[in-house]
This record gives sequence, structure tokens and C-alpha cells, in this order.
Amino acid sequence: MLLKKILSQGKKEREVIENIRRHIKLLCTACGAFKIAIETNNRDLMLNVIDLEREGDSIRREIISNIYEGAFLPYLRPDLCKFVEIVDDVFDLLKDTASHYLDAEIPDQIQGECVKVALLNVGICEMLLITFEAMLEGKDLREKTLAIRIYEKRIDDIKLGLIKEAREIPTRNFWEGKILSDFMSGLTMISDIIEDASDYLQMINVSMR
Amino acid sequence: MKLEEFMTTKIEFIDADRSVYDAIEKMVDRRIRSLVVRFPGKETEHGVITARDIVFRALAKKINPKSIKISEIASKPLVCVDSSMTLDDVTRIMEEHNVARIIVCEQEKIIGVISLLDLMAATLIIRARGDYVT
Repeated sequence: MLLKKILSQGKKEREVIENIRRHIKLLCTACGAFKIAIETNNRDLMLNVIDLEREGDSIRREIISNIYEGAFLPYLRPDLCKFVEIVDDVFDLLKDTASHYLDAEIPDQIQGECVKVALLNVGICEMLLITFEAMLEGKDLREKTLAIRIYEKRIDDIKLGLIKEAREIPTRNFWEGKILSDFMSGLTMISDIIEDASDYLQMINVSMR
Repeated sequence: MKLEEFMTTKIEFIDADRSVYDAIEKMVDRRIRSLVVRFPGKETEHGVITARDIVFRALAKKINPKSIKISEIASKPLVCVDSSMTLDDVTRIMEEHNVARIIVCEQEKIIGVISLLDLMAATLIIRARGDYVT
């Protein structure tokens, strides 16, 4: 496979690949911590999610600088950078959502559904890692990206119910309602960005054939 | 992969003594194809009414849905599976009973519903995961 050859060349390339893998694995850890934090109402653990975003940021910087120090052929660099940036967008959104969680009080009516979305976010994130590994092996990504779309669709379905439910929740003031609304949209939008990232992997994969 | 990951936890209930028209209204409003029918007693003794029941047992027979009670056409008892069951077991039970959705229970309490589409999605995800373990 051409892609396998391109991606497994020199030391810098291997370093970049290893860091991208580390970046996605860290995202899986962050999503997992987020899910446990919301399930057990563990605010300390939620603060850890914010710390993990900072760690993700430093890995992203390392990857980008390695790429521009000469890893990979120049025509490949923008696509790889874009993919890394998209994964980083997921970290940012997860951090914002964690912050909203710390500010808001999640009503019982939507707690169960929020945990379910958080669980699906862990699943979709792991699937992104699996898709990345499959790309490195030069495999067809069709089944992997379909699985990601299935996760995304399920979260979308829950989102509709959540919005409906949220309309019935009394709020004391504007800010309380806004923070809760931002929390819900952040939680349900993580999968959208992961889907974008998987589309990018598919694009890179196809363009290398 | 656990059933809980793929079941729908939002379950809509309706009382057995309400009219079929009420059930139609609720199904159209919520865009769903089935409702759990509340009969007196434990949750596992409830029934289910689906769009299929309504069409074949009432509308196709020109019965006025406002004049017939849900209890007259609902299927009872519920086909329930335990939340610890595997997807393969659930698929087999659905095939045996020829149903498109099945209720998931935990200690005689309804906790979700799993449909054929949910099973299909879960199977595709398992295929995509392969033997990858994070």
C-alpha cells in the first residue's frame, strides 16, 4: 500500500504518527473521564478533563511543529495538520462542556440521557482511533466510518429528545438556562466533530491510493 | 457490547383503558412506532401496542379508533429480555417471537426497548471494531 509506505518512512514520520495516536488515545481517556464524572457527579474528575485538554494542546503543538520541520511530503502536510486540528477542536469542546457542567446543575430529568450521550461519545472516540489504525494499515475504512456515522446518528436522536425535555425544565434566570443549554449542545456536538475528523481520514486514505 | 449501549431508554407509556385514537395521536406526536401499554400490576405484566397492531387490528377492519380501547388490540404479555443478555440471544428471541422490538428489563422493571434497527447498528459497530480492544 502506498499509504503504508508513505506513513511508515523516516524517524520524524514515525514520531508524528505515534503522537497522533497518543493524541487520539488521550481524547478517548478524556471522554471516558467525562462520562464517569457525569455519572458519579465527580467534580474533581471533571476538572481532570480540563487538564487533559491542556495536555492534548501540547501534543498538537508537537505534531504540527514536527510536520513543518520536514516530516512527510509537503502535499500531505496540510491534510494531516487539518486532521490534528479537528481532533484538537474536540478537546476544546469537551473542555468547554466540562466547564459548563461545573457551572450548571444537571436536572434529574435529563441526567440519564446525558450519561448515555457521554457513553456514546466514548464509543465514537474509540472508533476514531480504530479508523486511524486501520488507515495506517492501508485498510478500507468504509465499515469504520459507517460505525462512526451510526454513533453520531444515535446521539442526534437523543439530542432531539433532550431539547424537548429541556423546554419543560424551569430555570431561575437567563444564565442558568444558557449554561445548561450550552452544556447540552456541547455534549451532543462532540460526535459531529469526530465525524468530521473521520471524514478527513477517509479523504486522506482515498487520496493516497 | 452491552444491550444498554444500544437500547432506547425513552419509553412512552399509555394506559390500557385509553382509546386507540389516543395511542395514534401519541405515536404521531412523538414519531414512534410503539407504546408500552399499562395494565394494572407489575411492569412485566404490561403490554405493547405497535403501529402494525393499529393498522391490521383496527384501521384495516374499518373499526373507528375512537371507539375501541387499547386493551382490546394490544399484545400481552410483553416480550422481555434481561439487560445482561447478549445481542445474539436477543436476536434469536426476536426471531422466535417474530417481533421488531423487544423490551429490556432489570428486576421486573422496564429500562429500555431495543429494535431491529438498534440490533443492526450494534452488529455493524461490532464488525467495525473487530477484535480491537482499547
